[in-house]
Amino acid sequence: MSDQDLVVETVRDILAAHEPFVLTPSRPWDGALWTALAEAGLTGVGLPEEAGGSGGELADAVAVVATLAAGAAAVPVAEQLLVAGPALVTAGLDLPDPAEPLSFAIADGVTAEPSDDGDGPGAFVLQGVSADVAWSGVARRVAVLVQGPPRIGGSVLVLVDAARVAAAPGTNLAGEPTGSLDLDGVSAPGALLTEAQAAVLRARFALARAVQISAALQQVLAWTVQYAGEREQFGRPLGRFQAIQMELAEMAGEVTAVAAIVDAAVQALGRGDDVVLAAAAAKVRAGAAVEVVARLAHQVHGAIGFTQEHKLHHLTRRLWSWRDEAGSELHWSRVLGAGLLAAGPDALWPTLTRVV
Amino acid sequence: MSTPSLTLAPAPPSEAAEQVRAEVRRFLAEELAAGSFTTHVDTWLSGVDPAFSRKLGERGWLGMTWPSRYGGHERTAMERYAVTEELLAAGAPVAAHWIADRQSGPNLLRYGTEAQKATILPRIAAGECYIVIGMSEPDSGSDLASIRTRAARNGDGDWVVNGAKIWTSNAHASHYAITLVRTSPADPSNRHAGLSQLLIDLSTPGITVNPIRILDGGHHFNEVVFTDVVVPADMLLGTEGDGWHQVTAELAFERSGPERFLSTYPLLAEFARRVADSGDPAGVAVLGRLSARLLALRQLSLRIAAALDRGELPNLAAALVKDVGTTFEADVIDEIRRVVEVPASLDSPDPLGRALAEAQLHAPGYTLRGGTNEILRGIVARGLGLR
Repeated sequence: MSDQDLVVETVRDILAAHEPFVLTPSRPWDGALWTALAEAGLTGVGLPEEAGGSGGELADAVAVVATLAAGAAAVPVAEQLLVAGPALVTAGLDLPDPAEPLSFAIADGVTAEPSDDGDGPGAFVLQGVSADVAWSGVARRVAVLVQGPPRIGGSVLVLVDAARVAAAPGTNLAGEPTGSLDLDGVSAPGALLTEAQAAVLRARFALARAVQISAALQQVLAWTVQYAGEREQFGRPLGRFQAIQMELAEMAGEVTAVAAIVDAAVQALGRGDDVVLAAAAAKVRAGAAVEVVARLAHQVHGAIGFTQEHKLHHLTRRLWSWRDEAGSELHWSRVLGAGLLAAGPDALWPTLTRVV
Repeated sequence: MSTPSLTLAPAPPSEAAEQVRAEVRRFLAEELAAGSFTTHVDTWLSGVDPAFSRKLGERGWLGMTWPSRYGGHERTAMERYAVTEELLAAGAPVAAHWIADRQSGPNLLRYGTEAQKATILPRIAAGECYIVIGMSEPDSGSDLASIRTRAARNGDGDWVVNGAKIWTSNAHASHYAITLVRTSPADPSNRHAGLSQLLIDLSTPGITVNPIRILDGGHHFNEVVFTDVVVPADMLLGTEGDGWHQVTAELAFERSGPERFLSTYPLLAEFARRVADSGDPAGVAVLGRLSARLLALRQLSLRIAAALDRGELPNLAAALVKDVGTTFEADVIDEIRRVVEVPASLDSPDPLGRALAEAQLHAPGYTLRGGTNEILRGIVARGLGLR
């Protein structure tokens, strides 16, 4: 068994004791699961030990995130392990204790002014409101990508202490907390990012969601195949009907295509390649598959899958949310299309063969 | 959690493949500049150009993975993959040799006699010998077990073939037909028994090739009629009665390559030129969305090429590529149409209008050839354990 298999096995053992549940305003996340993961050191996987993380490779962190996504776990692990954590380390900012939930947000409308004149990481005063902050109200800290000072331009990554910021609660389609943070006048440590660094950070966020989507799609397919094999109608299992077989095969095609591009983009990130176009392709392709797979999974499951009693919605509602988050398909389609044309229209094919 | 039969290991980066890719790209740019070909859609069906095929043979880009004693070049499937996708992306005329290089050669390597391999494979690798697939029949469609073309032994032990094959691409421009025939009477209890493959020289007396024109007027398909055609005994391919098994293995090679999602790539490239000129944001988004699908298919297909290099036969994933890929090929047309106002016409002064017309008139074929997508989904469903 490889290290990565061992990590996955540990996450599965922990998950087994925490069946997915319906989120409510009074129970917005799975704090007990988080505690169990943190105690096992799994909320610091892939983050360097010298920064306070648990060490390990990007692939280990991706495996943890994918396993938890397939388990419909209501915890901010993707944000912490794949986006905010690595971004803070790269920017030279202090990584908070991995045992405390950390989230990530992109706030293009928020500006940052340095409140000291030191080089490198420093203190910034923020202005504006950050909307659509995943795990708002749950995360102790949020790494926010905001606009840099007008005279400098670029972006600034700031680390906001959520306990000292006013928040307006909201939820995504899955019922997970997604609110806004009022950052007007808030002071926070931050670091200037180049345009390229900021673009990679946005891409990381999109790729993190694509990893979650891919894992959840595989699980939805597995559940649906299993259900079709067990549920009988007209005297035989649903899966014996050719019409149902066609639908399941179509789902399998979508799921497999997504897995291929998401894996390829993750590997590109691991190699340190320019990952923006690869992540864009992964997010767009994953989002497109959600449309087909969630629709057909519900169709095959029939009425029971449309209820809160059945587990299917724990993943389909997250899939519908995740495809909108970290940049929609429209946003990333435009990024990908423009990126492919950047070297001139006659270079489309050479550019395509370089993306992943 | 996952469905293991569908998961393939990633393709490791290959420097050799990138090197040959650059060579092919340079060759294609030179040929285009010299006017030796013009870009078209779906050229692996319609771009028959023996002179071009021979040029590829001279450069060592046919029979790439085969042993050198048969004229091959002992290169990896990844290198061959790079060559094939460069040719398709450029819309180059590759139809003459395509089937022979893609599946007849590997089929002969697996099942052929030493004499068959020694005679035919070097000529395929040289770009001089073209082979068609004689599988389907007028009433059989995807149901190959129902075929009726018969081969019976005469007094000399040779085969006498009677019957007809249909949809044989480029039979009029090819040298051999690897023909699936019934060599013993149909057995209702085992529909797949009693079939064999014969390697039939298309210049043999008794063979008539009748053209069947497709929607754009092009002649690629044929009906091939066999009337008392005598086929020497040593032209049996593989084992008598084992034809079904041999054909099934052959189809796995046929279904996973980049031709299953790049047939309409020249249209996408033409569309990209239009979007670059116009800057239309809707067009940019469509280019991005289609490219994301293409990139995913490419990764899937590359993984299959890598699996072939490892000696695996990933039949299920191959069926998936063909299903998802050919659906994409047709969607390219629909998505582009929604954001450009360019009438599709074969004699349009606008290259985008011509590409749309070619792609549209060829579109019904994409999801049919190599097994209909419904048949492929049946294979996937079996792989999922549903039948």
